Amino acid sequence: MVLVAPAVAMVAIFVLFPLGFAVYISLTDWPLIGPYHFTGGQNYSLLTRDPQFIHSVLFTLLYTAIVTGPIFVIGYAMAMLVRAGRFGSVFFRTAFFLPFIVGLATESFMALLELQPDSGAADFVLSKLGLAHANTAWTVSYGLALTAICVFVIWFAAGLTMMLMMAGMQGIPAELYEAAEVDGATWWQKERRITLPLLRRNIALALIISVIGSFLAFNQFYILTEGGPGTSTQPVVMWIYEEAFVQYHLGYATAGAVALVVVIGIISAAQFYLLRDGRDQEARR
Amino acid sequence: MTTAARTTRTSRPGTWRPAGTRAASGPSGRPGGGRGNLGRAGFALYLTGGTLAALVFLLPLAWAVLRSFMASSLVTQAPSASDFSHLTTANYSGLIQTNDILHYAGNSLAVAVGTGLLTAVIATMAGYGFARFRFRGSGVVFALVLVTMMIPFQALLTPLFLEMHSLGLTNNLAGLALFYTTFNLPFGVFVMRNTFLQIPWELSEAAAVDGASAARTLLSVLRPLILPGIATTVLYAFLFSWTEFVGALTFITSDNLYTLPLALLNMEYGSVGQVNFGYLEAGAVIAMVPCVLLYIGLQRFYIRGLVSGVVKG
Repeated sequence: MVLVAPAVAMVAIFVLFPLGFAVYISLTDWPLIGPYHFTGGQNYSLLTRDPQFIHSVLFTLLYTAIVTGPIFVIGYAMAMLVRAGRFGSVFFRTAFFLPFIVGLATESFMALLELQPDSGAADFVLSKLGLAHANTAWTVSYGLALTAICVFVIWFAAGLTMMLMMAGMQGIPAELYEAAEVDGATWWQKERRITLPLLRRNIALALIISVIGSFLAFNQFYILTEGGPGTSTQPVVMWIYEEAFVQYHLGYATAGAVALVVVIGIISAAQFYLLRDGRDQEARR
Repeated sequence: MTTAARTTRTSRPGTWRPAGTRAASGPSGRPGGGRGNLGRAGFALYLTGGTLAALVFLLPLAWAVLRSFMASSLVTQAPSASDFSHLTTANYSGLIQTNDILHYAGNSLAVAVGTGLLTAVIATMAGYGFARFRFRGSGVVFALVLVTMMIPFQALLTPLFLEMHSLGLTNNLAGLALFYTTFNLPFGVFVMRNTFLQIPWELSEAAAVDGASAARTLLSVLRPLILPGIATTVLYAFLFSWTEFVGALTFITSDNLYTLPLALLNMEYGSVGQVNFGYLEAGAVIAMVPCVLLYIGLQRFYIRGLVSGVVKG
């Protein structure tokens, strides 16, 4: 009891209480300073008519829809490359995963320089290849910024999917592949008939982790575009941050945040269900 | 995920071999370290593809390091071959003298070390408690701690800001470390509980028979067995804290308390006129180096955590 008390206390103070408090704040017109009043569900009904909030939700969904597929496919392919433990695969694995370790914030500052017109490496390389003008300013137009950030994030996050898929692949008994080889199965048949079906749960988990990460995107947009031009590249977390700490509409911002908690909670519940499901299968074996 | 967790557990910690496959490596089942089941041509293709892909991931980071050694005036021009003959440490010395970057790196380090140690202590205690003692409601309490993993702190910034402000924990590096510790606890408790569950009961029972207290058993008998779990917990907490951005942005507003990412942001938006990209690049490299060194040095502990199945994106 005493041993678990500090952990429970921390979680109660910094997670559970704020969670309840968030619901409370979201039902008021809480300003940064001064008295507040109960407004009931007014914040929530305003949200459904707020074009800026709706835009940030749609933008986040669009961004998630763009990056999730490539992150998964590239991550899966890299996992296939390194899973067999051949000569060089530890080096490859480390290289593929390094961007994830360094973190999006640090790398966004590096990307900021490389996305500048004329001086950035992006323009240098692409203009040499004839794919862009040497003075393309990537961060100041909606389409270009979204494109650049999506490529950047795929580069950042594919390594995590690789790690998660590799862990699953290495848990598949080699006997299955040997039996298939005896039966004359091709590489593609083994991948499709053995690896993919056995990895269903791992694939679902990798996708869930990736989608949650995209829903919570903030750093790369804040540092590279600050949501601009205008608020066109503003994801949901940045909408919450700006509404709360720039506009000082704490009650209204928190209503948006509560909606985000509910959505993420549902997705994470699926993650936990999958993990538990796996454990039950394990026990039955 | 759990399949993998089980197999790794039965093999030596940190080795990447599924138990039960003969003598080694991947699904192909041939001894690892060589060409695997690939023919000469296939192996050449594997090495070429792998090297090209590795370059895609490593070159941008290596390029940033190289850029940080170019004079500010060159950084804002198109890259050219002659840049390489004018490498200088001017960005770093300028950054240290005029932007006091070491002070901010110190802030980041203090918060990250504090978060790592506090997470380790609290998660070890809780992991031991959950693994070894059944008390009324222990299942519910454990579930409660794990469920907090489902709650994104990014969505709790407003209530957390108001609460921490009234407790005097905003503009406070210790407050930031407490916040980071809490959001690393579910993962840490999970890892430490699994670590303790893998230790045979008999070991701590024998210690109890010999008259050792719970604390003494933990510190002297079990310590060598739980160190890998602790290393995993500390590594994750440290890296989380070192790279975290939006929480620091919200809870730290006075500039002498800035962590590294905030100091870099200040160089981007806070400066009057042109951003000094040379300085910004050098600062980003300073922020990158500890992550790279820690990961390369402690890779096997990091992978233990990934395989446990509870990872945050």
